[in-house]
Amino acid sequence: MQSIIEVEDLSKEFKVYRHRQGFMGSFVNLFSRQHAVVRAVDHINFKIRRGEIVGYIGPNAAGKSTTIKMLTGILVPTSGGLRVNGRVPHEQRKENARRIGVVFGQRTHLWFDLPVEESFELLRHIYRIPMEQYRANLELFNDVLELHNFFQTPVRQLSLGQRMRADIAAALLHDPDVLFLDEPTIGLDVVAKERIRQFIREINQERQVTVLLTTHDLSDVEKLCERVILIDHARILFDGKLTAIRSLIPRERLLIVDYAERYPNVELRHTVIAYHENMRVHYRFSPDNISITDLISEILERFKIMDLSIQEPEIEEIVRLIYERKVLLEGQ
Amino acid sequence: MLRVYLEFAKKSFQKRMQYRIANLAGLLTNFFFATVRILVFTAFYAAQTEPMPLDLNEVITYVCLTQAFLMVMPLWGRAEIAETIKDGSVAMQLAKPVDFHGYWFADECGKSIYYVIMRAIPTFVLARFLFDMWIPLDLTVIILFLFSITLAIVLGAAINITAFGTVFWTLDATGIVGFAFTLSTFFSGFLVPIALWPEWLQQIAAWLPFEGLVHLPFSIYLGKLTGGAALTAIFKQSLWVLIFVSLGRLILRRGFSHLVIQGG
Repeated sequence: MQSIIEVEDLSKEFKVYRHRQGFMGSFVNLFSRQHAVVRAVDHINFKIRRGEIVGYIGPNAAGKSTTIKMLTGILVPTSGGLRVNGRVPHEQRKENARRIGVVFGQRTHLWFDLPVEESFELLRHIYRIPMEQYRANLELFNDVLELHNFFQTPVRQLSLGQRMRADIAAALLHDPDVLFLDEPTIGLDVVAKERIRQFIREINQERQVTVLLTTHDLSDVEKLCERVILIDHARILFDGKLTAIRSLIPRERLLIVDYAERYPNVELRHTVIAYHENMRVHYRFSPDNISITDLISEILERFKIMDLSIQEPEIEEIVRLIYERKVLLEGQ
Repeated sequence: MLRVYLEFAKKSFQKRMQYRIANLAGLLTNFFFATVRILVFTAFYAAQTEPMPLDLNEVITYVCLTQAFLMVMPLWGRAEIAETIKDGSVAMQLAKPVDFHGYWFADECGKSIYYVIMRAIPTFVLARFLFDMWIPLDLTVIILFLFSITLAIVLGAAINITAFGTVFWTLDATGIVGFAFTLSTFFSGFLVPIALWPEWLQQIAAWLPFEGLVHLPFSIYLGKLTGGAALTAIFKQSLWVLIFVSLGRLILRRGFSHLVIQGG
């Protein structure tokens, strides 16, 4: 099948100006500015076929968002080639924009001061969506994302989860071929995350929408993507099936408990105490050996607690492991 | 196609409708300054023995007009869209199939229509009663004025976008905007009517775009520019609109290749 996204030898450099310190320094700044060139994306290559869901993952500042912004025509590449749907995004920004949907987790597509409904109406005009298609899509999205609860609310009053649901629906109103999701689950609680994942899965399966998803939540990737592209320091470190690096995703989770009282024995079955100070205890455990619910109910039975949280493994950890086992992966 | 930009203008209007109390406060401030400026001119005229190019009532009317259309003038008030370039949320607009200059222009126009209705018209009514502001009754004058003030608003939007468009390079347009603001407030005749200026300074103002913002439309209003002279004024305004729209589009196009998205 033909590729819908093609990226060839793509690079993006930014100039970062350095400011000299102090009074004299600021005077010198007026006449000569020093700058450093930062490579946000460094000669990357990949192709994505129609209908794929690809996880584009990496630590902070790896170059994920910059890539997405080039693919959506917002940023102009420094060198290299890229095509989305056969178009060069920064040269045909508007034509490209008509066929893609974009969600940036940290920003909103909607008009901040307007109710969600008004924003959607505006999008209907912008993308020239036929009324029938608009209504049908709205109805479908409503079923999964339950937009009707806050459809009349101004965007600035929405909770993060509501806003994200509205944003994702907004990005799909015009039936795009490709959906770019930049950190769509950032800051959301478990329930909201799951709802959004389910929706992405449905849209992909039913409409063959190609999805490129950046995230640093590994469970997004595990639940959605068959293929991952891992980027670190502006370069691609790994591109292949999730199963190939699944073994690298640490199974261990960290459970952090703040006890209400001092207990002489805080050991729990199937866990290892990684840290213990005063009333705070860090437990390492693997969900393969004991389920989180069992673990929590045991704690609640035996102790009084103040607070409890679970830390998921981080992408940085995988990146580190990949560097370590790079030889092994390349041999496969 | 135009429909979308009309919608943008409408939304820009609606957005501001939510801040009506702020507008009321603004209206009061406008009035305070109108009163101060009128008192200054009244004192100045009382000390004057020679006949002036504008009589006192005309100057008062002129001051009321400038206060009425204050918010429509470029570089007054906030430039929300320039702020989006600065904070990076401009990315959200660029991800849409929309001409950015068109979008910005529509937003400015929606803002201006809002301020004409919510500021200019109430000021007209109040100033009529409080300061005996003069209102023309000649239909030709009214029609010519409406043409000219519309062009002034459009020119204002075009200058605004051009000045704030430099934010792509500086990331903080305050310097350039401040400079443009000073130039435009002075050379538009906003502070002191150009008719009261020395001849040589008037000659300079005639070659600058800013007279199209205040001096030309209000001179038409006061009946100082009639017939051919009024049409020439309107022609000059149209020419400046054309120049600044082209310049603004050029700046934005160049700017986008410079774009650095701040933060994520």
